[in-house]
Amino acid sequence: MTSLTAEGLKVTAPRARQHGWWRRNWVSLAFIAPGIIWLLAIVVYPTIATIRFSLYNESATKFVGLHNFASVFSTDTILTAFKNNVVWVLIFPFFVTFIGLMVAVLTERIRWATAFKAVIVMPIVFSTTASALVWRTIFDLDPHVGVVNAIEQTVSDWFSTPGAYPLNSAIGQTAVSLASFNATGAPGGLLVSKSAVQPGGTVMMGLTRISSATLQTLGAKTPVAPQTIAGGIAGLVWNDFSPSQTSNTTTIVSDEHGLPNLRLSLVNSTGSSVASTVTNSSGDFSFSHVAPGSYHVEVLASNFQTSFVGTFWLGSQSITPTSGLNQTAQSLLSVPLIDLAMIISYIWIWAGFAMVLIGAGLAALNREVLEAAEIDGATEWQTLRRVTIPMLAPVLTVVFVTMVINVLKVFDIILNMAPGSSQGPATTLALSIYNDGFTGGIHSGVASAIAVILFLLVVPVMFWNLRKIKGGSP
Amino acid sequence: MTIDAPVKESRVGGGLAKRLHLSKAVVNVILALVAIFWLVPTISLLVISLRPESLFGVSGWWKVFTDPSQLTFGNYSTIFSQGFATGGVLDSLVTSLEITIPATLLVTGISSLAAYSLVFGSWRGRDMIFFGIVGLMVVPLQVALIPVVQLYREMGNLFGLNPYGTIPGVIIFHVAFGLPFGIFLMRNFLTGIPKDLLEAGRIEGAGEWKIFYRIVLPLALPAIASLAIFQFIWVWNDLLVALVFLGGNVHSPLTIFLYDQTRSLAANYWIVSTGAVVSIFVPLIVFFSFQRYFVRGVLAGAVK
Amino acid sequence: MSSVALRELTKQYAGNAALSLDSVNLEVAHGEFVCLVGPSGCGKTTALRMIAGLESVTSGDIEIGDRVVNDLSPRDRDIALVFQSYALYPHMTVFDNMSFGLKLRKVPKDEIKAAVTDAARILDLELYLDRKPAQLSGGQRQRVALGRAIVRNPAAFLMDEPLSNLDAKLRVQTRAEIARLHHRLGATMIYVTHDQVEAMTMADRIAVINLGKLEQVGSPRELYDRPANQFVAGFIGSPSMNFVPMHVESIEGGIRVVSAGGDMDVILDDVESAMIRSAGVSDVVLGIRPEHIDNQPRSGRGLQLRASVEVIEFLGNDEHVHLSSGSHELVAIVDARTPLTIGDTLTLSASIEAIHFFHPETGVALK
Ligand SMILES: Nc1ncnc2c1ncn2[C@@H]1O[C@H](COP(=O)(O)OP(=O)(O)OP(=O)(O)O)[C@@H](O)[C@H]1O
Ligand SMILES: [Mg+2]
Repeated sequence: MTSLTAEGLKVTAPRARQHGWWRRNWVSLAFIAPGIIWLLAIVVYPTIATIRFSLYNESATKFVGLHNFASVFSTDTILTAFKNNVVWVLIFPFFVTFIGLMVAVLTERIRWATAFKAVIVMPIVFSTTASALVWRTIFDLDPHVGVVNAIEQTVSDWFSTPGAYPLNSAIGQTAVSLASFNATGAPGGLLVSKSAVQPGGTVMMGLTRISSATLQTLGAKTPVAPQTIAGGIAGLVWNDFSPSQTSNTTTIVSDEHGLPNLRLSLVNSTGSSVASTVTNSSGDFSFSHVAPGSYHVEVLASNFQTSFVGTFWLGSQSITPTSGLNQTAQSLLSVPLIDLAMIISYIWIWAGFAMVLIGAGLAALNREVLEAAEIDGATEWQTLRRVTIPMLAPVLTVVFVTMVINVLKVFDIILNMAPGSSQGPATTLALSIYNDGFTGGIHSGVASAIAVILFLLVVPVMFWNLRKIKGGSP
Repeated sequence: MTIDAPVKESRVGGGLAKRLHLSKAVVNVILALVAIFWLVPTISLLVISLRPESLFGVSGWWKVFTDPSQLTFGNYSTIFSQGFATGGVLDSLVTSLEITIPATLLVTGISSLAAYSLVFGSWRGRDMIFFGIVGLMVVPLQVALIPVVQLYREMGNLFGLNPYGTIPGVIIFHVAFGLPFGIFLMRNFLTGIPKDLLEAGRIEGAGEWKIFYRIVLPLALPAIASLAIFQFIWVWNDLLVALVFLGGNVHSPLTIFLYDQTRSLAANYWIVSTGAVVSIFVPLIVFFSFQRYFVRGVLAGAVK
Repeated sequence: MSSVALRELTKQYAGNAALSLDSVNLEVAHGEFVCLVGPSGCGKTTALRMIAGLESVTSGDIEIGDRVVNDLSPRDRDIALVFQSYALYPHMTVFDNMSFGLKLRKVPKDEIKAAVTDAARILDLELYLDRKPAQLSGGQRQRVALGRAIVRNPAAFLMDEPLSNLDAKLRVQTRAEIARLHHRLGATMIYVTHDQVEAMTMADRIAVINLGKLEQVGSPRELYDRPANQFVAGFIGSPSMNFVPMHVESIEGGIRVVSAGGDMDVILDDVESAMIRSAGVSDVVLGIRPEHIDNQPRSGRGLQLRASVEVIEFLGNDEHVHLSSGSHELVAIVDARTPLTIGDTLTLSASIEAIHFFHPETGVALK
């Protein structure tokens, strides 16, 4: 740059060279140009623009500094989104990798591995939208729609058959609330007669709030006053409610009903049961040959066994205890049940991906090393844990990291699987971006701030990727 | 082979074989259960779409196994009887194809060209560009949505062509976010092609373009197939991009169709399930016809 | 340490019609070093893997000590196997590689340390205990694989071509090391190899397998001097034995065996004549090792042949001379100082003791 001649030389020589360079490379450059331009315009420039938008107000007209980020971290709905993303990241990648590993290891021992793999991989090609809809029915509350609740119902009925007079726990019914005349609640959810009775006497117990549908199903008849029997105890249990004389309690009215099929037990003064019986269709019962003494009649709790209420898998009830927490703490600490339902569904979608990758990793392992472990005395489980898994570590990491990135962006499944009432509690960052930015006009501020945060979260993976590729390619 | 050989085998080899057999049986049972679990959702979708609307919510879909007479194609004939009317399933099917096919072709074409240039070009900085593109692979597309909407509007202001709300607008966006993976996959494949093959072409006087499509493209067909299938399925299944860029359009792809229907789930469940079956039908065909390429794409996608 | 015995051992892989191992009987005594040799695909690896328990038994029995182990899994058989690929655990250090088996058996820590240190000293690996296999040379890896076996102090060592991945020099070195190890440990060893020099130098006895069948078992000398059949005769020895089909003719006072063109003939004594008569054959296959052919005419009985020199391979001390005798090709080893040129016609001979006869159809040696 000091002397003219040097300057002149410097200018002319590169020019000549440059000319040749263009001639040699223009086709090659033309090949890559569309890709580069496309990426610059629709990926690179917008990413930078989003960073700028995140520092401006919602209509992108005024610089507001980090204000949007501040509101991100002080808005409960967005904190909820963060929390849910954390829940996803903590649970999902681990289980997908684990299940993928197990399935990949086990498929090596079956003859129908090809068919099995096809079955597991298939959900990857479905749209998450369609899969979410399928799982939404599977988890439906109604046991006539949702398989899960249908199974729960079958199992629950197996262990405890609902009684003839199931309580409706949905409205908080208890056995005590049914007691009307000469009946009172006792521990264990049963009803017992207030007055004592001796052999030769009669007992009348009035209950109330038994639905007419139940009475009809059971074929209840008009109650008949009990007749005394010598050396025995007779009685009646009836629904002490007359539609025509609503204020008439304690006596029998002709449009009242006896309560059939009630299981009763006769209890002596020491509190032990001495006999049991069942009421007939008019609500009458009797115990014969009763030893002298003073007795009470019990209506067993099993009569009121609650009918099955499904699990609201798609609901926002928290599976972690959150009572007594304030709003913000709740949005940070509650884990809505629907998160689990959605994670299960998402595992269904992605386990095939993990299996394919890990399966390829397994196929590439040196079999003899695994056999060496067997000869060294390792059980299959020890071989898996101490040899196979460490050798697969690179593949497992790739699967895990890919899945972490995947759930940072999780979106479709929530939008489609969560019913309206659960959308808020189940939201994630990607969904917040959509809701804040695009529903009801474009609002660029907070949505961009969330997008920037999402971007920052994947930057480490970007470098990790680059390092691997640089290390791997010559 | 003597006649008593098999008897001998069962006597002598019996123990070990039996033991292996037992654990094998356990594995088979476990995997059979897993397979059933994995099939239930798909089967339930299919069955629900094949049961009359009136039975939904009255009895579970699994009742069909005890009463196969419930099966009917009624839902399908209702849906298809609307033909290609705007807002119907078939209209959405066509829209999905209108988005997916061009997006797939563009990504495979542009990626192949770019990868060719990156591998066989001789200009400096190729590696830097490649690393930059690899870096873009993990950029969440959420990051670009708002500015691209603005960009589309600007284009409307400047040229009178606003891609926002149109099918080309969706395609442009999909192509951009398909390219990093596409270029990555194609480049990795092309690096395996010996340069001598190209030299041979050059000596015969073929130009770059000719070398590209006469020599390199045919060799790269397996990779192109993987990429195309991957891209096809990816775009076909997208909901977010379509919602953002095509939200107001009268023609919507299947994912939006389903999403719209779910918002009134109880009333329209038969449409939803039937539509969902229609929507998974195309990727399923693609998957089962090109399973090998698809799996290869999955493997290539995970950065080694 | 204990003995190993195979009884009528047979293996048929699923989806493979041929038997990979066909009724093999072999007894390996306590502390003995037996080599399995045979051409590629003959079933050597199969036999070893069956003894190790990695392959199931189709029929027959495997005994280790006096237990039938057919039904035992590898970890209950108390054997060590050294793989051709070494099969080291890539994620473990040399120390961990060698101690893995002991750790699994819950051997106390200090005992493990003592055993590994000991083995490392024997194998000269003390400096590498903290390295991973990837940071070792081929020979070092090979020694780690041996170390992993030694540390376990198993009932028997099984080795599958452990030297085939080493270069020639290292191979000779390690060969000596294994031989020394065998003496030192007094261990039972079954050693598979391709390489007959390995087998001849190390083995107490050699078992020759062909197409899944055991052809002959015996000491190296027995196999060399008295091969049971044409296959063993051709397999043992390098360059291999020459085989020439001959015709048996009665002459006055005995038998003469002559080749098709008459360029080779053998005059037999009474004992040999009787032997061939008793076999009742009119044709035989003659076998003669290249090193037993002398560059001089016959004196008395034995073989004499006329042949022309086709190729001369100079090997330093001696030369391999490829000869053509009538329509037959032969190889002879001659002193390198013998002045020979291509095209020379020679008259060569061999003593009657060096000649083998085999049955023309079955290949069995005639005795
Ligand atoms: N898993 C298998 N399934 C079917 N056939 C097999 C299997 N393993 C080996 N074989 C067959 O059994 C025969 C013996 O194989 P083996 O590996 O024992 O040979 P080898 O003597 O060790 O050969 P090499 O010297 O090449 O290692 C071969 O013909 C082989 O093709
Ligand atoms: Mg072998």
